[in-house]
Amino acid sequence: MGVLSFLIFSPLVAAVLIAVLPSSLRQSYKYIALVFTLIQLIVSGWLYGQFDNTASGINTADGFQYVEQVPWIHLSLGSLGQLEIDYFLGIDGISMPLLVLSAFVMLMAIGASWNIEKNLKGYFALIMLLNMAVMGIFCALDFFLFYIFYEVMLLPLYFLIGIWGGANREYAAIKFFIYTLFGSVFMLLVIVGLYFSVINPNTGAHTFNMLYMMDPSHYVDGSFFAWFNNYNEVLGIPARLLGFIVLFLAFAIKVPIVPLHTWLPDAHVEAPTPISIILAGILLKIGGYGIVRVCVSIFPDAVTYSNWWLGLIGVVSILYGAFNALAQKDLKRMIAYSSISHMGFVVLGIASLTVEGISGALFQMISHGFLSASLFFLVGVLYDRVHDRNIYNFRGLASLMPKFTVFISLAFFASLGLPGFSAFIGEAFVIIGAFNAESVGSGLPRWMAIAGSVGILLSAAYFLWTLQRMFFGQTRLKGGEEWALVLEKDINWRERIVIIPALALALILGVMPFLFFDKLNSSVVHLVSIVSQYL
Amino acid sequence: MGELLHISPILASILVMLLPLFAFIIQASLGEKATSGNISLIAILISFILSATIVLPGIWNKPPQYNTYDWFTIGTKTFTIGILLNNLTVLMQLVVCLIAVPVHIYSRAYMKGDPGIARYWTFLSLFCFAMLGLTISKNLLMLYIFWELVGFASYLLIGFWYTRDAATAANKKAFIINRVGDIGFLIGIACLYSLFGTLDIIEILGEGGLFSQGIVDQQSSLMTLAGLGFFLGAMAKSAQFPLHIWLPDAMEGPTSVSSLIHAATMVAAGVFLLSTLFPLFNDTVLLFIAIIGTITALMAAYFALEQHDIKKVLAYSTISQLGYMMVAIGIGAWDAAMFHLTTHAFFKCLLFLGAGAVIHEMNTIKKHDCQTIDPQDLRNMGGLRKYMPKTFILMSIASFALAGFPLTSGFLSKDAIIISSFEWAIHQGGLYHIIPIVLVVVSILTAFYIGRLIFKTFFGELRINTTANSLLHEAPKTMLWPMFFLGIGCLFFCFSPSPISYHLAPILDGFSVTYSFSEVHSLHIIIPVTLTLTALISWWIAYRWYVLDQHPVHSYNLDIEQNSNRKVAVFDFIPYHLANSLIIFSRWNYHFDKYIIDGSVNAIVKFTLRTSQIASWIDTYIVDAIVIGISNLSKRIANFSAWFDKYIIDGLVNTIAQTTYYFGHLLRWVQNGRLQNYLGFALTMVLIGIIYLILR
Repeated sequence: MGVLSFLIFSPLVAAVLIAVLPSSLRQSYKYIALVFTLIQLIVSGWLYGQFDNTASGINTADGFQYVEQVPWIHLSLGSLGQLEIDYFLGIDGISMPLLVLSAFVMLMAIGASWNIEKNLKGYFALIMLLNMAVMGIFCALDFFLFYIFYEVMLLPLYFLIGIWGGANREYAAIKFFIYTLFGSVFMLLVIVGLYFSVINPNTGAHTFNMLYMMDPSHYVDGSFFAWFNNYNEVLGIPARLLGFIVLFLAFAIKVPIVPLHTWLPDAHVEAPTPISIILAGILLKIGGYGIVRVCVSIFPDAVTYSNWWLGLIGVVSILYGAFNALAQKDLKRMIAYSSISHMGFVVLGIASLTVEGISGALFQMISHGFLSASLFFLVGVLYDRVHDRNIYNFRGLASLMPKFTVFISLAFFASLGLPGFSAFIGEAFVIIGAFNAESVGSGLPRWMAIAGSVGILLSAAYFLWTLQRMFFGQTRLKGGEEWALVLEKDINWRERIVIIPALALALILGVMPFLFFDKLNSSVVHLVSIVSQYL
Repeated sequence: MGELLHISPILASILVMLLPLFAFIIQASLGEKATSGNISLIAILISFILSATIVLPGIWNKPPQYNTYDWFTIGTKTFTIGILLNNLTVLMQLVVCLIAVPVHIYSRAYMKGDPGIARYWTFLSLFCFAMLGLTISKNLLMLYIFWELVGFASYLLIGFWYTRDAATAANKKAFIINRVGDIGFLIGIACLYSLFGTLDIIEILGEGGLFSQGIVDQQSSLMTLAGLGFFLGAMAKSAQFPLHIWLPDAMEGPTSVSSLIHAATMVAAGVFLLSTLFPLFNDTVLLFIAIIGTITALMAAYFALEQHDIKKVLAYSTISQLGYMMVAIGIGAWDAAMFHLTTHAFFKCLLFLGAGAVIHEMNTIKKHDCQTIDPQDLRNMGGLRKYMPKTFILMSIASFALAGFPLTSGFLSKDAIIISSFEWAIHQGGLYHIIPIVLVVVSILTAFYIGRLIFKTFFGELRINTTANSLLHEAPKTMLWPMFFLGIGCLFFCFSPSPISYHLAPILDGFSVTYSFSEVHSLHIIIPVTLTLTALISWWIAYRWYVLDQHPVHSYNLDIEQNSNRKVAVFDFIPYHLANSLIIFSRWNYHFDKYIIDGSVNAIVKFTLRTSQIASWIDTYIVDAIVIGISNLSKRIANFSAWFDKYIIDGLVNTIAQTTYYFGHLLRWVQNGRLQNYLGFALTMVLIGIIYLILR
């Protein structure tokens, strides 16, 4: 068993273990989850250290590392030929950092789950199942395998929100589930279409291998998604463009883009703190990862054709999300909308099709992973104490909780792009890349970069305004003395252990971005060289 | 000394920058325990010594030195950080140290006893680190990082007293307005990156750099955009119209902070940035800079005329002087801008520190009598000369320098700017003359408002009734010594051997800028004389109005009331109308600032908030409503299909089933097991058959 399989399936072992242990040992569940995720983080960190920076990945199997490929489902279908599904794992510069991020955010989520009391067995088993699915998504290189992990991920999330969530949890869970399923059902159609269009040159059978799908020479002439001389149309849209759009929408729902974002604020508000952390820290990244790994790599011709629209979607998400964040009264909702705004930078950066823009987008994903997880965790700290999140019910918290104020100010400033923290590098290079796109000729106009930079300004506005309203001034709380007594217990040691590493990583990445870019460069350069053939 | 210690200027300058960072880290980790400020003070002192003894002598008028370190690589492009030491950067670094040291010492007394004092030192060290790093950055990305960090430190220090609503509103405003500038800076960076593919200042602007190779058309729109972007950054940081509105509000911070950050160093960073990047700007951008600078200088000087808050007078004065520096850059005399930046740092810092001492005493009165007076209001002060003579003398020296009297440093640097601007206007001709003429007017106004400040504060009698007279005393030594040090820095011999000619100033010499215009010798006599005379007249008028209380508006009002003993009307006629029009204009201007500029900013804020509410409304009632609508529609369809299923499809099936059943039931009745019935049926069927056969 390879190391990636270990990463993927060790949480499954934990889930089984938790499931079989009797309820009398329920206090041990969280320790089991903690130990397994910790091992996962150590292993993925070790992989990160061992990672060969020169390997490019993307569309060459040689460029992937820690590859595992074994035949999984090979069926002879008679006249339809051979069904070929491989258990095919591997990581390149794009998935490697995300793997570490997932392990880290999972650990944070376990740390935030310490005080969960309702049905511990189910809770931790589901989180571990979710952990497995997420790891699988970032490692899978076979589209069928990818899809399975993608769907498996939905199930635990649905229950985690629907059972352990807030007052309106069923509504939020259903909304989240249907939204994502809506995207993935159509994705399945495209996967099947691709399967019948691509042939494994070695066996001559149709294949789900993503790397073969990225190579024009493996497409069957005249097939539905054929690379060259493809005149297939559906409703007047060329087949390859349609395939791209459908896949993009499936992942864009996850990112999420405006106007397919409305599941996010509801899911975040209703979800318990740890699930919010996972949602913001990992789930949204799956959207961005999917766009790069699948949409851009398999349909580079369609991307160059439509990147103006992608850029527009990115800019609209940035501004629309920021404006909405400014209007929110619920702190968690505000942060949820700020996530939409920050993830808009990811879409804009990818749309620029420049090395700087895509690197900036991937950096922004990692940075947003750490920072949004921190923000949701800190909101949880406050909510745990007084069970209220309304911004206007608090004032002058800095006098009551000075240490908590320091942490949340750091997280706010890091999120609004203060240099020294990671978000700055991500956003600055998305803007630089988007601005440079016109010089490279990828068709993204400069005003999009300028409009995107207005989002940076707005992020300062909503974060600082919140800081001013909730934390500064004379102390005045809706709950009066009762709240003041609870809140005087400033952030405790367990909460500090969770938050300090996250903020420290944001700081380290902001000061030493090469730790990240070095892993990434050869993959991104390779990706851009593939795409720019079609410009 | 550099040879003695074997420290290269590069290493020394890095130390200069890093020492305050170490102080910041130590202070932050010690938390509430470190209240003395010794750590910060020692760090900045060593920084100052290194900067003055190793960095400056090692670089000044010698070839520039630089060091570059790879930071990170994106794709194939490597981004670097680096130290750039040339005359401009080492001068700026020394100025920052020179001002920071006295402010640190002063703060020990001024901030004594404040419950947040540990926080104060932490933030102050952070600011010093960021500011010193800004001065020696070689890469624009690195410069941008420090640029934002100084803004962040300024945010923390303005909102130092975070329980005051005004302070937290002011620091938010300052940060957001500066963010507007940061976006300009970022766009400038993006432009240069598109054009040159690098952000290294030496690679772009150095000797034989990309810029001098002429691969880029300086008149291209992208270059103009880059120039305007960088200028937007400088406008926000250096409080240029209309982005100046954050600076008067920023006076909510401690006065020592105002003197360091919002008078001497951070606000001058914009001027420094433009000087560093000067060759990039084409004529369009330069003219724009000059015009904005002129407008700023004039408006801010007018605003200063009628301010009652002593710190606000000084804040507007700072804005006005920064406008001067901008004009100097706009006309191409960026050496004069840097010269004025240096002299201004000393006298403005001193004015703020003096004001801080005065406010301190006014606070004593306030506390003693439990009055509700505003300790910063000029209308309450007066006669303080008797209680704090040393502060009075030092502040007078500083105000002489600001007004541009001979023998002071301000005289030299202001002349340098105004004379150059006249020469530039003569070279350009026509409407360009407006700019230098406005500058002269500003100079007159400057002399007037600073004279007013001195007279109102120190002359006459205290304007409030108090029994605390005996408690009023001179500022403590810890506060006086730094002020004394700065006071010396206001005098001419620190900058030039000659008290009247700025041409001998080593600072101007060191930059050796070639002007686009030629020297006009007669101006070098006419301008200084005019400026001195007008300044004297301004002071005389201010003296008459505010000390002798012959304020023409007042006396006129008195005359109406008393209807007798009217002063010589002809003599008063001109001053009266002059004063009236000035005051009306100033008030109008202030209202303009308060209601139009600030109002339009508020309008933008309101508009943004409104937009955000609309966006939120759209989100809830349109986007989400569509989703919910789709969901409801699917539920309806589902309900309908369930109904259809139940009543139509299932109904049909059931009908068929029921019919079958009915028939079955009917037929079952026939199968009742009675022989006679069967025979009866058989007979009936036979009969029917027979009838059928017959009838056929």
